[in-house]
Amino acid sequence: MDVTESDLPGVGKRHTVPLGDGRELVIVTHNTGTREVFVKEHPDADSEKLLELSDRLARTVGTILEGAYFQPVESEHVETMLTEGTLLEWYAVDEGSPLAGTTLRDAAVGERTGVTVVAVQRDGDVIAGPGPETTIEAGDTLVVVGDRESCEAFEATLLGSAG
Amino acid sequence: MADLLEVGVLFAAVAAVGAVAARLDKSVIPFYILTGIALGPSVAGDLSVEGVTVPSVTASEFVNLGAELGIVFLLFFLGLEFNLDRLLASRSRIGTAGTVDLLINFGVGLVLGFALFGEALAALLVAGIVYISSSAIITKSLIDLGWIANPEADPMLGTLVYEDLFIAVYLAVAAALVAGGDSLGDAALSVGVALGFIAVLVVAVHVGTPAFERALRTGSNELLVLRAVGVTVLVAGVALAVGVSEAVAAFFVGMGFGSTSQVERLEGLLEPVRDVFAAVFFVWIGVETDPALLPGVAGLVLVAVLVTTPTKLVSGYLGGRTYGLSPRRSARVGLGMVSRGEFSLIIATAALAGAGAGLSTEVAETLYAFTVGYVLVMSVVGTLLMQYSGPFEAFATARFGPG
Repeated sequence: MDVTESDLPGVGKRHTVPLGDGRELVIVTHNTGTREVFVKEHPDADSEKLLELSDRLARTVGTILEGAYFQPVESEHVETMLTEGTLLEWYAVDEGSPLAGTTLRDAAVGERTGVTVVAVQRDGDVIAGPGPETTIEAGDTLVVVGDRESCEAFEATLLGSAG
Repeated sequence: MADLLEVGVLFAAVAAVGAVAARLDKSVIPFYILTGIALGPSVAGDLSVEGVTVPSVTASEFVNLGAELGIVFLLFFLGLEFNLDRLLASRSRIGTAGTVDLLINFGVGLVLGFALFGEALAALLVAGIVYISSSAIITKSLIDLGWIANPEADPMLGTLVYEDLFIAVYLAVAAALVAGGDSLGDAALSVGVALGFIAVLVVAVHVGTPAFERALRTGSNELLVLRAVGVTVLVAGVALAVGVSEAVAAFFVGMGFGSTSQVERLEGLLEPVRDVFAAVFFVWIGVETDPALLPGVAGLVLVAVLVTTPTKLVSGYLGGRTYGLSPRRSARVGLGMVSRGEFSLIIATAALAGAGAGLSTEVAETLYAFTVGYVLVMSVVGTLLMQYSGPFEAFATARFGPG
């Protein structure tokens, strides 16, 4: 994803986010804090204004979008780029997962896939830095760190589709 | 009339017409100037209804000083938002678009000025007046129309940055020449002093960032505003006292503050201060204008409008192409750059200050009235061209193709 940033002297900054379907999201951040959000039907189209947010409102909306209040991980996994090439991902553990019921030591995902499990979310609690004796249970959400390849390998292992 | 009442009339009138301008989606600048003319000594000052004097505004000490502060804060903000690193980062594109803009508009302005006034100094002033586009009007229109989110905003704002830097140096030289004596030696000396002063300020800005940073380090908004205003107005005052342009001094103080970590806070806190005094400045422009002189300069204004609207259309179009934009978007850049406003008026003010010195009183007054008429027309024409850009875009696409 290639987000471009441009300076708008006397106004603020503009960020352009390609939406993947040919459209682009344009966010103009004014020096006053106001955010204006536009959408472009295609990169050459004129921007159409969607909404204008005050600084406070923009931060609230941003936090919701980031998933701080609610993360719909059951349907999709969430990924965050830590640095170029390193991902922080959330994975839901289903009933039928081969990892459900095993300890982290037995699961040995580090050796098998290259990722590190940095936290386990369970019933609203977070087990940060889980030890090797921590058991993975169905319904858990695992927070893992690794490069894209490792994360894909981990996802396959989690789903039981690895060879 | 009591001074306080006069100032109250001024601000109440400005507030009222500002609301009208906002309702009509137009720039406030022509409205403020017309308010100044209407409230000034030649119109309201001459009126009395059934023996009661109509409230009017004169160029009192407060209005004069307020206008001066308006100039100082306008230029201070220009400096505050001016970022040398940003300019250097995209110097090839800004440089090309800005140089094309300068050569075409300043060049044509010189010829036009000489044709209209027949003397070199007046020609130099006309060149500056028709060259410098209005940052205030253009930025506001860009935001109102949503063009700010489109690529055409980049060459427009980039060109404005180039113009700002040029005008800082130009104002210093022009102010020195206008005030300078008769002989070439005197003129050369005052220009030398002006350029030397700029050099000192540039060095101060360059090495002074840590000092500026320390000077502004405070959690209190009140103290921050007071310190920024204190430094700016003091330096501007010193500049004026030693005979250098106060506007240029304010520009460089702004630039110095712009490189500190407080720049965003300063912008937010000082914007209303600038707007209040800028309004006084525009009203003062109107108060100083003798409406009786305007019909006499109508011909000059008409010629200038007819010549310098196309020059900005062409230079803006070429600037847009430099940025790799399509003919349609490049046409928008041209349309957008047409607005002239606050800086043309500041140059005219410098001309008026030189009446009887570098310029004859007659030429200075004609030049001033000409600029007021010119800005009244161009601020409206520029906004209208942006609002009704459709036919121009269609023409550009038909003539130069879609890509």
